[in-house]
Amino acid sequence: MILSVNQFAASSSGGISSLGINLKAFIFQLITFVIVLLILRRWVFPKLVATLEARRKTLEESLVQAKHTEEALRAAEIKAGEILKAARAQADTALAEAGSRAEKLIAKAEAAASERSARIISEAEVRLEQEHQQLHEELKAELAELVAIATEKVLRKKINEHEDRALIEQSLKELA
Amino acid sequence: MNKLSRRSLAIYATDQLLANKHLGTMAKELAAVLVASRRQNQAELLADDIAWELEHRGKVANAQVTSAHALSQQLHKQIVAHIKKAAGVDQVIIEETIDKSVIGGVRIDTAAHSWDKTLRRALTDIREVV
Repeated sequence: MILSVNQFAASSSGGISSLGINLKAFIFQLITFVIVLLILRRWVFPKLVATLEARRKTLEESLVQAKHTEEALRAAEIKAGEILKAARAQADTALAEAGSRAEKLIAKAEAAASERSARIISEAEVRLEQEHQQLHEELKAELAELVAIATEKVLRKKINEHEDRALIEQSLKELA
Repeated sequence: MNKLSRRSLAIYATDQLLANKHLGTMAKELAAVLVASRRQNQAELLADDIAWELEHRGKVANAQVTSAHALSQQLHKQIVAHIKKAAGVDQVIIEETIDKSVIGGVRIDTAAHSWDKTLRRALTDIREVV
């Protein structure tokens, strides 16, 4: 074959050589190219194509997964938003209830405190009145005692035998 | 032994006194009864009961008269007259006591009656009223 090629090259060297191309070298390069091409086609290209296909598939899967992930993320965000909204609403309700309960408790405590203070004031007034009355009675008794003592002292000085006699006579008249 | 009451003894003694029984004999009898019934400590109460019985029957009133100053003869008579009239008795025996604490006036106590017209009583009444 190489011989035929050489013969072909020798026969046709006149035309192509005039163009500045070495036909022999060209044919060798062409054959080499074909051989390389065959080799590549036989062993390299299938593996390369398979690798590229696998890579493409991986990328496609990755893209699909990324899309799924994005959707899942979006869904999660929506769900989180809903949960947050519900939690916020629940918290608002709880706060409102707590506020209402606190107001009721405060009102109840105020009413109880008011009632208790009124009772304490009332009891204090009663006690004060009793103490006042007791003090009044004690003062009255003390005053009466002082008056009696003073009267007794005056009478002891004033009453002599003559006046005592007159007093006894008067008493006997009253008894009669 | 059936115990005689003090009241029964007083009635008996009064009857005996009014019947002019001998005083010493009667006193011995009463003393014997009191001793027999172990009531010696009631002798004074029995005497009071006899006085009450005598006064109650309108015979004699034994009066304790308390005053701050000694009573004059005239006052004495007036008091006797008052007791005779008020207690309704024929005879009055007065036992006079001077007590300065009564200040003035007179207090008359008999077995059945009591009259307190002393200034001490008046002052006590004022204290009690107040």
